Amino acid sequence: MPKFTIDGKELEVAAGTTVIQAASAAGIDIPHFCWHPDLPVDGNCRMCLVEVEKAPKLQIACNTQVTEGMVVHTSSPKAAEAHRTTLELLLINHPIDCPVCDQAGECYLQDQYMDHGLHDAQVEIEHKVHKRKVANLGPIMLDAERCVLCSRCLRFEREVTGTNLLEFKNRGNRTEITTFDGGPITHEYAGNLADVCPVGALLSHDFRFKMRVWFLEQTESVCGGCSTGCNTWIDARDGEVQRIRPRRNVEVNKSWICDPGRMLYKQFHVPERLTGARAKRGANWEGVALEAAIDELAAKLGEAGSASAFVATPQASNEDLFAFKALAEAQGGQLDFRVGNPQDKLHVRIDEVLQRADRNPNTQGCIDLGMGKDGVDAILVACRAGAVKALVLQGPELLRAAEAADAIAKVPFVAVMATHEEPALALAHLVLPAALWVEADGTYTNYQRRVQRAKKAVPAPGDAKPRFELALGLLRRRGHALAVVSARDLFVTLAKSVPDYTNLDYKALGFGGRALATAPERAGASAPAGA
Amino acid sequence: MATRIVTVDRNTRPGVGPILLGMWITLRNMLQTLFQRKGATIQYPEENRPVSTRYRGIHILTVRQDGSPKCVACYMCATVCPAECIYIEAGERPEKSIEKYPTRFEIDLLRCVYCGFCVDACPEEAIIMSRENNLVGTTRAELVIDRDRLMSRAETAEHGAGYRPDEHDVRRPVRLAALDRLSKEHGIVPGMPKR
Repeated sequence: MPKFTIDGKELEVAAGTTVIQAASAAGIDIPHFCWHPDLPVDGNCRMCLVEVEKAPKLQIACNTQVTEGMVVHTSSPKAAEAHRTTLELLLINHPIDCPVCDQAGECYLQDQYMDHGLHDAQVEIEHKVHKRKVANLGPIMLDAERCVLCSRCLRFEREVTGTNLLEFKNRGNRTEITTFDGGPITHEYAGNLADVCPVGALLSHDFRFKMRVWFLEQTESVCGGCSTGCNTWIDARDGEVQRIRPRRNVEVNKSWICDPGRMLYKQFHVPERLTGARAKRGANWEGVALEAAIDELAAKLGEAGSASAFVATPQASNEDLFAFKALAEAQGGQLDFRVGNPQDKLHVRIDEVLQRADRNPNTQGCIDLGMGKDGVDAILVACRAGAVKALVLQGPELLRAAEAADAIAKVPFVAVMATHEEPALALAHLVLPAALWVEADGTYTNYQRRVQRAKKAVPAPGDAKPRFELALGLLRRRGHALAVVSARDLFVTLAKSVPDYTNLDYKALGFGGRALATAPERAGASAPAGA
Repeated sequence: MATRIVTVDRNTRPGVGPILLGMWITLRNMLQTLFQRKGATIQYPEENRPVSTRYRGIHILTVRQDGSPKCVACYMCATVCPAECIYIEAGERPEKSIEKYPTRFEIDLLRCVYCGFCVDACPEEAIIMSRENNLVGTTRAELVIDRDRLMSRAETAEHGAGYRPDEHDVRRPVRLAALDRLSKEHGIVPGMPKR
């Protein structure tokens, strides 16, 4: 554990830590381009030069390990001059087209020019070397003139996806990055190239010219696309999500997310979103106020008593599931979630990077909360026998299952909470509009049993409410009100009754979530008893 | 707080003198206006009061020689606008040299406070102001002025260009502030790196 001094601060770090890692952990900003915490060190940009006492020359902070008694100055006159000189050299052939560049506002060149450069350009625009602009690489746009040749994208291709699609070509100041024959980026992690690029050379095609980044409000979230549970930022403006970016979590997704996850925002603000409740009157649908719809469902549950069944969805948060389970238990009805057996695919990878076959964010949460009880088949058997008078679905999965259609047809009253319009909803008698994971506070338990928090980023459309609020409304009407008003309270109540979640609350989950002990049975076929 | 009592001396002398003086001034102004046209009144709307060449009137979007907007949809004006009255949507142009242009550019003239910050912020001299101050409409909607109307105003603006950046280097104060911050916070004296 070597001790060293950086800018007058004395720090003790683990052996093998580099100066830039130690500095960023201590909140000292060392300017850099090519260093990335989740990529191997390359040391080519020379921006992170720092002055190390007793060393004859400046050292690059990204590839210098801390040694005992080392004294480092990151902004001494010598280091500051090196930063400015390096930046000036990097900017020699830069087109300075910030007004039309989407990176503006989150560009390392801009930030570092304002912090360390502020030199006057010595190269006229017309003398700059021109390279390929607006080269279409499929999901990515390449502007080679803006590139600082840091090789982050090359290392991403080499180390993370293993595809090696990008390479340098030419020499000297004509060097530029390119794909072979200018072909497109074909893997499902292309969006990360735009994220790792510190400048505007690689930009997302999808986000191109859509929005200036300084208008965006970022909210911590967790991806709802599969059981991996990648940490994300939701970038929104005026209640509309504009893009999804990865949020670094070394334990889960490092700094990456997949493109399907990144594109999930396209389902958020579409005409198919359900904005109000509706009920079937004879053969026709009639729009009803949400409160009236909940009243109606509560009345039906009152009539049905324990002749009711509940099917939870692994799309829902732990809070949603807990409230739904409380409802099922108060009612004494049958309960399960395993439509299509998502628990079997929970750990199955579908590529070598992040994606998993279970496309639900919270299958593990369902298992942990003991939602797997009677089995969906048992519920269907009861339905076919006419023993179920009211069926409450937390998501539309069961309606989509062809083999369940005859059983559902036997149930006199089927209520479903859904986010999007779809043909399968025609089988229900009452449709309640539910909020998406970006529209409600909640926690999700990923395949590793890491409980992670997703914050509400945008308001839900129209009457749509988080599923836990719908369940709480039903509980209140059935005379079993839980003394909670928010997702935060609900999670505290949940933590009291679910063994492994004891002592957890939103504060304890923090920024990166909290890992629970590994599940006793990986397959999750026999769910551990919950409460 | 204690109440402060102000005593006013009301023992002014009554008399005809001050009244006659006041009436004479009024009469003189009336006669001058009638016969010498020296007064403050102008015959609006036939006549207009001359305004400064830096007057901040209704905006103009300048155009290139081929008639396309100079604007590159960088959103600097929309960002700096304190009234949040500028709405822009960007699109892509086929020419690689320009790339980006505004497909929509709207200014809500009823929200605008005519501060001229948009002109200061523009890196392309694409938005300037005219000297026109007649803002008349019969509906609110027609005072939300769109891209094509803003662009054609170059010909229609009666009173010519007003506030625009060629009189002074607007970037200078921004840069000076940044240099000042650099020397104060980091102790770096700006300029060329030493050779």
